[in-house]
Amino acid sequence: MDQPVIRIIDLWKTYELDGSGVSALRGTNLEIKKGERVALLGKSGSGKTTLFNLIAGLDRPTKGRIEVEGQDLKTLGEKGRTLLRRTKIGFIFQFFNLLPTLTAFENVFLSLELANKPKPQLALHALKEVGLEGKERRFPSELSGGEQQRVAIARALVKKPSIILADEPTGNLDTATGNQILELLTRMCEESGTTLIMATHSPLTCRYATRILRMVDGVIFEETS
Amino acid sequence: MKIVTKSFLRYLPRRLSLSVLQIVGVACGVAAVVGMTLSARTALKSFSNTIEFLRGKSTHSIQRPVGPMEEEILSKLAQDPAVQWVSPVVDRQLRLQNGESVHLLGIDPFLDRSVRPEIYRVEFLERERENLENLLSFLTDERAVFVDIHLKKEPGEYSSSILKTEKGPLHIKGRIPNPSGEPLVLMDIGHAQKLFQLQGYIDRVDLILNDETDFISRWEKGFVIQSSRQRRETFSGMLQAFRLNLEALSLLALFVGVFLIYNTAMFAVVSRRRDTGILRSLGANRLEIILAFLSEILILGLFGGALGALLGFFLTRFLTDLLGSSISNLYFFLRPEPAAWSYSIIAVGIGLGWGASLLGGVLPLGELSRTDPVKALSGRITTSESSRKAKKAALGGMIILFISLILFLLPGAHVYVGFAGVFGFILGVSLLMGWVLLILHPYLRRIMGRIGGLPGKIAAGNIRQNLGRTGVAMAAFMVSLSMSIGLSGMIGSFRESLIWWMGTQIRGDLYIGKIDEAEVPEDFFEELKKIEGIGGVHPYRNVQTLYQNTSINVSAVDARILQKYARFGWLKGGDENWEGVKQGGVIISESFSRRFGVKAGDTITLEGIRGPETFRVVAIFYDYTTEHGLVMMDRTTYVKTFGDLRLNNVGIFIDPGNPRRAELLLEVKKRAETRGLPVLSGSELHRNILEVFDNTFAITRSMRAIAIIVAFFGIAGALLTLFIERSREFGIYRSLGFSTGQVARMTLTEGLEMGLISFLLSIGVGTVLAILLIKVINLRSFNWTIFYFPAWQPYLITGITAILASLGAAIYPIWRVFRTYPQIQIREE
Repeated sequence: MDQPVIRIIDLWKTYELDGSGVSALRGTNLEIKKGERVALLGKSGSGKTTLFNLIAGLDRPTKGRIEVEGQDLKTLGEKGRTLLRRTKIGFIFQFFNLLPTLTAFENVFLSLELANKPKPQLALHALKEVGLEGKERRFPSELSGGEQQRVAIARALVKKPSIILADEPTGNLDTATGNQILELLTRMCEESGTTLIMATHSPLTCRYATRILRMVDGVIFEETS
Repeated sequence: MKIVTKSFLRYLPRRLSLSVLQIVGVACGVAAVVGMTLSARTALKSFSNTIEFLRGKSTHSIQRPVGPMEEEILSKLAQDPAVQWVSPVVDRQLRLQNGESVHLLGIDPFLDRSVRPEIYRVEFLERERENLENLLSFLTDERAVFVDIHLKKEPGEYSSSILKTEKGPLHIKGRIPNPSGEPLVLMDIGHAQKLFQLQGYIDRVDLILNDETDFISRWEKGFVIQSSRQRRETFSGMLQAFRLNLEALSLLALFVGVFLIYNTAMFAVVSRRRDTGILRSLGANRLEIILAFLSEILILGLFGGALGALLGFFLTRFLTDLLGSSISNLYFFLRPEPAAWSYSIIAVGIGLGWGASLLGGVLPLGELSRTDPVKALSGRITTSESSRKAKKAALGGMIILFISLILFLLPGAHVYVGFAGVFGFILGVSLLMGWVLLILHPYLRRIMGRIGGLPGKIAAGNIRQNLGRTGVAMAAFMVSLSMSIGLSGMIGSFRESLIWWMGTQIRGDLYIGKIDEAEVPEDFFEELKKIEGIGGVHPYRNVQTLYQNTSINVSAVDARILQKYARFGWLKGGDENWEGVKQGGVIISESFSRRFGVKAGDTITLEGIRGPETFRVVAIFYDYTTEHGLVMMDRTTYVKTFGDLRLNNVGIFIDPGNPRRAELLLEVKKRAETRGLPVLSGSELHRNILEVFDNTFAITRSMRAIAIIVAFFGIAGALLTLFIERSREFGIYRSLGFSTGQVARMTLTEGLEMGLISFLLSIGVGTVLAILLIKVINLRSFNWTIFYFPAWQPYLITGITAILASLGAAIYPIWRVFRTYPQIQIREE
């Protein structure tokens, strides 16, 4: 059996709000294997984004342990976690989060530069892969929502990460465009063997997943049907 | 260039209006510092050039402690074994007929040639070259002069080789080189003695010594011997307080500029927060983000600094003139040439721009580096966080205020400590701004709601919501307005104190002669005394001398007359103090007392014609004639001590009830005019003094204007950033049915509210600042007490300025509202 690419043990995250603690995650446990395409279903505020932030090392858990490719994030330190995001984790957001001052090409190339692989042809190839050939010099404001999300996918995948964390990747798109994006994303992850975790509140996303998880009040349940 | 950096730098052209505002803000601050420093430096350089040029090769100079010295001493000096060379000098100011002053040096061309060889590269006028006799006319014609090649040639002034002066026409024979900034006229010493009625006397002897110690041991008694270095230091010391005040003023303008930079940098941080979150999620580390932001700040500093340097350079054209006339009015005649262009000015400007940008950017930079990517990606900083920060800043402000208070209370601390305290006070109150806004918010909301309806209420809320930026912009504006009130309060109080002082000391009906020129002949004084019916003919003599190797002034007065007619402001006691003066004691000015730590009852020792003489200090009086200290004594004591009988000025006092008053005044005037002596009535003299005072503070007023301009850009920038940042909110307003006019009114209300609150706070802060400038800075710089005279005018003028500036600052954002609001949609990004 493969080593899990992500292992989460008894994960807790509590926020201080007006002097009292509010738990976004309550003792979550999870294992995700390499190449899995996971749909993480849950309502708004159920803790999906918090979990993603913790896996990416952007935030620190109150309690518990997270391992990415066998490495405990706690022992990695700030430098190690930054390196992890540069090389092993790709992020895709609901609101695309492209840098407005950079062109499509530059947004993708930025990812390569940070991963210390500054090869422009890789960025151009990634944009071509997502169907944006000829639009490399356009700024985000000159692209449609679907196109912006394609740039975000290219940006996430160009550095060949082992994990893609997609937070509501279709939440800001119409159904047809959303489906196109999901198809593209899952196909590209499948081809590259990248593990894909998609946080969503839409059951439609589940069609593109090999495994479905449900998050309720900070706890993850395996969806069996 | 790294893409991370590029992503930040691209904001500069994208938000061009904001970038321009920040550049202009930095430029104004830098221009004030560059302009002022460069002008002050040029003036001082010109001054030291003058000293150096006139010193020539002489190593020392010898003179009587006060007044001219006897000519026969020259031969004894020439025979002294320690003396290598002597050159006697008559050194006077000569007033031209157009009112300007020139420096006249009476020299012996045969002796002086070895001391000041540069002067003798004379360019004779065309027609003088024709024969040898003309070339010798400098020695033979008793009105012959050589004039400085830079001396302005005004129509009719010396178009036909004649220099029209108040002492009659002088014949120009040639022109001499003069690298100093002071207009110079050269005359044979014998002719100069005659011109100034100094027969048998000279002002000083310039010496080339080969053994200083040996020489001093023989000549110490009854003379003041100064080395060239001491002489330069004595003069430079006179300008120290003046220069320090100028530099501190210009730094205040830069200080306001730093606020502006902070404000814009803070906006940049807020608008980059999301980008920072994205970059961090992609794996960019803190250092990369800091470097990207730093490049952005430094680029703005670069352009702002370079532009400021250019503006500052042009400002020097104007400031150098102002400075020259202020120094001439207060200290000695100086006409400095504006600084020459140099690329190093740009380098200095950029350095200042960078320094200010880093100073203004350091807190925002810290905030950016601490940006939590999770929060940044989720949205804006919450209001509770900005309240917490405002409270934290207020705590810091209170600590700084407490430290400033300690600095003010430190006994005998240097004026630099006082300036540090003032800067601390300004910084401290600025940091309180956010907290004050939090407290005032509920009331403001109610008031603005009543005035402006719903848009007014929203405007008040917006200021509270965006405390990070509005607070800083208002603090900057408040500082500028407080500076305006503080400086006006200080200048106004000084002016009132001066008027009070003139009323105590300058109470004569007429004044004959000018204080800075010894020109009232003694026989004329005797002649006036013989006119029957005049209450008092007051002889006045004012000279510079050294006390503890520092330049001070000594005045000779007639104690009996002043006791009867003047009403001196005494620190202790009353007019009975004159009794001690009549008996040989002296009275000292407050500045002398503070400067040298001398109190009433102490004794002071001055170098007299027969060696050191000790005087008992009878009392201390308020005085604004010189910050270097003034010792006043009765004329009999003065003549006995210094052997100087000359007079600068004669005051005429006529008893108020005298029926022949008008007739007597007319008679005195007529007699003075016959002798070609200037006559001023008491009120004319008062007016002249006030005119000099007002000219002196022209620079202060210009600096105050620059600070307000800088702050104006601060408010404009804050309004614009609020507009740009809230475009999403504007989308919501639009969807709710707010008209363009209502949103424009909201922006206008925000601007007005910010201006009004800043003004209201500046009333208190400005008043305290005025008191600090009076009680701490002036007292420590000039050692004199200025009485605080509250006046309403500075508050009214500042209030109008605040309203106009905030309205003006709102114009561009309102224009942006009209241009873009109708197209604004509700967007998430």
